[in-house]
Amino acid sequence: MTAVQPTAMMSGRYQRAFTIAVVVLVAGWHLVGGGGQLLDYRSAYSSVPFQGAMWLIMALAIAAGSVLVLRGTPGWRSAWALALIALVASTAAAAASPAGQMLAVNWSWGSAGWIGVLVLLRRRFAELAWFLAAEAAAILTVQVWDGLDRIDLAAFLALLAWSTGAQVAVAAGVRALDAAAGQAAAAARSEDAARERAATAEIIRVARHARWLALQESAVPLVAELAAGTADPGDPGVRIRCAIQAARLRRLLAEGDDVLGSLVHELHASADVAERRGVAIEIETAGPLPSVPGPARRVITDAAIAILTAARSRARITLAAVAAGIAVSFVADTGTVVVLPAAGDGVAIEQQEDDGMLWAEARWNSR
Amino acid sequence: MEQQVTVAIIEDHPVVTEGVASWIRSDPDQRVRLVQTARDLSGLRGLPRPSADVVILDLELAGELVTAQIPDLVAAGYRVVAFSGHTDPLIVMETLDNGAHAYVSKDEGADHLVEAVLAAAADRPYVTRSQARAILADQRPARPELSQQERQALLLWFQGMSKASVGRRMSISENTVRQYISRARAKYAATGRTAPSKDALLARAIEDGVIKPGEIMPYQSFARAATDHPNLGAPGQ
Repeated sequence: MTAVQPTAMMSGRYQRAFTIAVVVLVAGWHLVGGGGQLLDYRSAYSSVPFQGAMWLIMALAIAAGSVLVLRGTPGWRSAWALALIALVASTAAAAASPAGQMLAVNWSWGSAGWIGVLVLLRRRFAELAWFLAAEAAAILTVQVWDGLDRIDLAAFLALLAWSTGAQVAVAAGVRALDAAAGQAAAAARSEDAARERAATAEIIRVARHARWLALQESAVPLVAELAAGTADPGDPGVRIRCAIQAARLRRLLAEGDDVLGSLVHELHASADVAERRGVAIEIETAGPLPSVPGPARRVITDAAIAILTAARSRARITLAAVAAGIAVSFVADTGTVVVLPAAGDGVAIEQQEDDGMLWAEARWNSR
Repeated sequence: MEQQVTVAIIEDHPVVTEGVASWIRSDPDQRVRLVQTARDLSGLRGLPRPSADVVILDLELAGELVTAQIPDLVAAGYRVVAFSGHTDPLIVMETLDNGAHAYVSKDEGADHLVEAVLAAAADRPYVTRSQARAILADQRPARPELSQQERQALLLWFQGMSKASVGRRMSISENTVRQYISRARAKYAATGRTAPSKDALLARAIEDGVIKPGEIMPYQSFARAATDHPNLGAPGQ
């Protein structure tokens, strides 16, 4: 597969780690913070079983919310359903607390806020802000109902600043970390791509240099023979040698400096083998070519090898961008049809033979 | 018998000039007559009338690309067939856009140069494989729209099939293959900068029934003008 996946996974792994941290934080708060306070003030409540029931409902909401966020970002329905359960349960717990000391003994406000952080964590930030505001408003309403003096108001504001502030800070922190992980992954991705490009360029440079050296051994003596008159241009054998050397020279000249895709590179390699056998080969491309996945490339290069092996003296290979894919075609003097590999991996293969010339096309479709 | 087509070769390598001359000589019907050879364009300038019907122009003279000189040649009344070692689609497109009739790469010369010269002399399209490649590779936003059949015929031709084989593959006659390819070429003559050679090519394509005026963008406005003002319609209607 491509280099994209590991880096995408890397960013995904970081995000999952942040999610787990939030799950542990929220569950721990509810168990130790909320549960501890509930036990501490058990003598103050008019009904401990009712407070316990509300605590349990919120614990179940945390469990359900944890499952949802560990599977991915929950949809708005399930996220808000859990958030509203927490809102209602915490308000009921607050309303059932003794009037004079509600803010002191209430355990549910903090837990409800943390549930909101958990389920709304990767949704729009405004949703969490609305939820925390609604939760604070519900608690304040209970307090107003019970009677609100200046000390109560001061206590409310202090609690608001402490618990809501911490919740907003955690949510914002996770967001920042998500963004950093995404950036790190993107940077790694472009670094991977650059490294791959450089590696391919190096492979091509080495191959080109090797071809150039081979030309020194094959084309130069031929030219020398022609100049000395020992090779006769009228001789069909000499003409074939000239055609082959000309094809190799053309390819060397046409390669330019652009980095070729790996399919073109692989076809060049197949062509080199056939050339050593004395087949003159042209390779041409038309249009910006899409990159073809490995299995499909293998089907195409297998077809290339079968056809180039059967070619007697010449072959033309073309690669053309077509709608949603690439058409790789071969025209060669095989004299007959060729047994080609089975189509598959998104590649369809067709062939037609006319007067000893074979045309075959392997067409890869990305859809 | 038709009159011979006269041709000038502008080429800075004498060995290539000699090779082209030998292709012209070996044409069994002697349809082309070489009247002038030169190593640069100076000999063609300032003449009262063109010295040849067609100029075979090497695009690289003394190490410099001369595609920008094509409009002047065309304006002077020459039909230009570019003959070049370059196969870069962008160079092919620029050459055609500047008003050359055809583009023949040096690999294609033996099979196509004489035919391309004859087609150019008659203002008929001639599409080599390197031209087909450039058309297939064309990504410019202003490129003409080709039909699926035209594109398929160009693709099979570029791939290296003979036109007869393309016809068998597409289940159409060889003549229809030529029509599709010529029509695609004619559409290109209707785009880009204006040149008398492109107008001549288009007019001939319309006359030959290769393309209808309505299939060409600039001609659409003429068609509309013709219906709005019947008196201004095409002559002969």
